[in-house]
Amino acid sequence: MIHLIDITKEFPPNTVALKNVNLHIEPGEFVSIVGLSGSGKTTVVRLLIAETKPSKGQIVVGGWDITKVKNNQIPCLRRQIGVVFQDFKLLSKKTVFENVAFALQVAGTVGSRISSIVPQVLDIVDLKDKAGRYPQQLSGGEKQRVAIARALIHRPKVLLADEPTGNLDTINSKGIIDLLLKINEFGTTVVLVTHDKDIVNSLKKRVVTLDNGIISQDQKVGKYII
Amino acid sequence: MLILSFGRSLIFAFQSFWRNFWLSLATIVIIFLTFLSINFLIGINAVSDSALAAVKDRVDISVYFKPEVPEAKISEIKSHLGSMAQVKEIIYKSPEQNLKEFQDRHKNDANIQETLKELEGNPLGGTLIIRAGQLSEYPEILKAVDNPAYTDLIEEKNYEDHQLVISRINDISDNVRKGAILISILFVLIAILIVFNTVRIAIFTHQNEISIMKLVGASNWFIRAPFILESIFSGIIGCLLALAVVYPLLSLIQPQLSSFFNGANFDLIGYFNGHFIWIVGGQLVGIILLNFISSGAAISRYLKV
Repeated sequence: MIHLIDITKEFPPNTVALKNVNLHIEPGEFVSIVGLSGSGKTTVVRLLIAETKPSKGQIVVGGWDITKVKNNQIPCLRRQIGVVFQDFKLLSKKTVFENVAFALQVAGTVGSRISSIVPQVLDIVDLKDKAGRYPQQLSGGEKQRVAIARALIHRPKVLLADEPTGNLDTINSKGIIDLLLKINEFGTTVVLVTHDKDIVNSLKKRVVTLDNGIISQDQKVGKYII
Repeated sequence: MLILSFGRSLIFAFQSFWRNFWLSLATIVIIFLTFLSINFLIGINAVSDSALAAVKDRVDISVYFKPEVPEAKISEIKSHLGSMAQVKEIIYKSPEQNLKEFQDRHKNDANIQETLKELEGNPLGGTLIIRAGQLSEYPEILKAVDNPAYTDLIEEKNYEDHQLVISRINDISDNVRKGAILISILFVLIAILIVFNTVRIAIFTHQNEISIMKLVGASNWFIRAPFILESIFSGIIGCLLALAVVYPLLSLIQPQLSSFFNGANFDLIGYFNGHFIWIVGGQLVGIILLNFISSGAAISRYLKV
């Protein structure tokens, strides 16, 4: 599903964020990418959504070489990869429903289809009854659920979660991780980028450890060891 | 899908327009001033053209024949002069007509009336009034009138030279036009800068929204379009406001103009109405293009999609 082949990413003047990284993720896998701050975790996410290009190497997502992707193809790529971030990235002047619908609106989906799809996705994240609320009226966990709903709206094959529990307490964090597991059970490949030791250890899934831009460990059923 | 996306871009543009109301207002005001000066320029052009046409219309050569010259002879000369390509119009006035006009003109002058009574017969001869197609053609006609064969027949020639008045009107209107063009160019430049800056600020204030749009897969044009449309909104409103002010102003100026030009018919409102499509359409197309280019420049400079 995702192949990072000999990826190097340098930032001028002399920072090397990733160095000759090779990573292969199969369809339907749940992979945690862990590491300390500055280890290159977020760079992997940015590369996968074509926000930045590698200095060297090839990235293939779903058979698509995204290192050669043209600017006008990026929107299409981003509709196939759902992303959630630590800071939720919600529009404060839009309701929960509107925030999720926004992703469909910008893709040119007709209103009637938006009206039928959005409640279904809000149901998956258990926010159907809060569709009319604004982000400031939600808890951190609920905000992240909205972000996940929005990421799922295009039925992506891959869901990237960059520190999704970074701003949440333990209970809310567990809720979000359970939701990601549920999404993974539906067949979506989930890549979780985190430095939360407890979460990674509780998952009992594949763990890739990044250390100063190189993969130091890749365990099938791993633990957070740094 | 294209129409749907365009409709949504319009909605986003409208929302952004209201959210940045004061910024939009500043843009509208400067565009309004630009169009006010452009409409002033159009008005000045129309007035000076009409004034010149009116003055040119009054230029003619009057040839006064001696009383003893028979009408047949004058008709012969009229046919000869009338055949010249330079002559646009030639009018014959009979001695009786001239006498009547002279009497009417001096009806309050008892001495002249008395003198005319004492004279036996009509002391005035026939007259030919000649008008040329162009001012530059008068010397050629004068040369023909100066024909030695006519010298004994002609009492007097009167070529009212309006060249001085014409060149004065030309000078004044040229100067006013230059001033108005300069002011218009200045306002256009300010408008370009203001629109550029407005879009730049709009991009900064929408940074969060833009990043989310990119994140969820909005196309580059879908992200850019609202900024361009927003600037076009301001342009259209500024342009229409200027027209809404120009028309009442024309109604105010119209009577002053008529009295200034001694009742000559300078129908400015009629001129604007007659050229409405060109004036309004031209200005709207102009402002749309200006905003498109200016906001496009700001977007390519500040909006990385």
